[in-house]
Amino acid sequence: MDTLLDISSNFAIAFCVLNALLYIFWLKGNNKAFRIFAVYLVVIAVIQINASYLKLIIPINNNLFLFHFYYILQFIFLTFFYFELLKHKWMYVVLVIVLGIITFQFIETPAMFFRYNPLGVAITQGFIVIYSVLFFYKYLHETNEFLIINIGLFFYLLSSILIFASGNLVFNMELITKYGYRLLLNLNNVLYLGLQFLIFVTWWKNYYSKKTIK
Amino acid sequence: MVEELLFQEDYQIVDLILIAIALLVAMAVAIILFFYFSRKRIIKSELEKANLKIANQKEILQTTIITQEEERKRIAQDLHDAISSKLNIVSLNANMLSLKDISSEETNKIANSILKVTGNVLESSRKIAHDLLPPTLDKFGLEAALEELCEEVADTNSFEVDCNLQYLEHFLNKDKELHVFRIVQELFNNSIKYSEATNLTLKTEMEGKQLLLYYSDNGKGFDVSIAKKAKGLGMSGIENRVAILNAIHTIISSPDNGISVTLALNPSKDEN
Repeated sequence: MDTLLDISSNFAIAFCVLNALLYIFWLKGNNKAFRIFAVYLVVIAVIQINASYLKLIIPINNNLFLFHFYYILQFIFLTFFYFELLKHKWMYVVLVIVLGIITFQFIETPAMFFRYNPLGVAITQGFIVIYSVLFFYKYLHETNEFLIINIGLFFYLLSSILIFASGNLVFNMELITKYGYRLLLNLNNVLYLGLQFLIFVTWWKNYYSKKTIK
Repeated sequence: MVEELLFQEDYQIVDLILIAIALLVAMAVAIILFFYFSRKRIIKSELEKANLKIANQKEILQTTIITQEEERKRIAQDLHDAISSKLNIVSLNANMLSLKDISSEETNKIANSILKVTGNVLESSRKIAHDLLPPTLDKFGLEAALEELCEEVADTNSFEVDCNLQYLEHFLNKDKELHVFRIVQELFNNSIKYSEATNLTLKTEMEGKQLLLYYSDNGKGFDVSIAKKAKGLGMSGIENRVAILNAIHTIISSPDNGISVTLALNPSKDEN
């Protein structure tokens, strides 16, 4: 189980970095939504790399604080991304309110910085899921290049809410949850790989069609 | 490595979490499939609509071409009967004139015959041109042209025509006046050919900023929904012209109750 987790998580990081690079190199001549998504991928890739390899540079035991960067930055960038696609003004209002709630959480429980944040994850990823459903509805009878990514985000974010919300259990329990914990992490990796794969497919489709059909 | 003690409760919690995640995944798949199939359905129905529209337009185009050909045939026939055959006679007569030894009395006779026939031909060609496009419309406007049309129909003595026209000069531009004229012409033709009516009414009046036109006959009428599907250009031609005029029309008819048509037109703005 350990080696599988290591392999899959390394693979996930590699894929993530690959996608980030592909999207950055393809930045020219693409619309604003695309650029925001590319930046999002870069940020996530950076966080992922830090999560795995930060302990080699700085001697720390618990890198869970990176998780906060992960879900908050994810929420911010994906809100901007979906705003470009959906153009609903109230999305900014939601952004401000949710960030306010999270800030309030931090002020009230500073120790949360080194643990998971079930409520924060649920709210942020939940709202992104809502945006992706709105996107599905908007493009019900048209096509859009981000449709596949949207499917991936919808699927992954919905499923992983529960995974991350239950992450705090690792602090309360003993041996068994190491097993369950690893199982959950594996599941997360599999789903995440699925997401990265779909992001890659989107890039491939566009790259391919731009070259041949013009 | 295998020496991990399984505490019942913790095991159950992990199980619960896994079940919940499985449910979320299932729900996500269901939603995605729902959107996918809805999409297909919507695209399919839009395609059907577009195809229907294309088929309809094709049909209109075909009927237009058929009518055009019929019209050409009629004109060719008219020209041949009225004009070519008569000009033939003129040419024969002229040929006789060119012969050397004929008496002056015969010359006179032939000259008169030529005069008579060319007069006829002139009259016929004027009539054909007039039937195609009455010069009255161009020179004197819509009201005069419609009045003339009413008189022509009344002159045949098989109909009583009630004509009451009130029209603001230059309310419509020349093109639109022609369309209105054609519509009325078509209505008269339909009444004459099919309706077995005895009384035809045409009335135009200015109401506010609109021109209202009423036409009715007391003939045998027809079923409006059937006529719309018929291939004859009558109804669809009128409808096309009404669409070009940007006007509103209503056609009321039922078997044995004649037909009554109303047309409401707005003034021509300067569109060029």
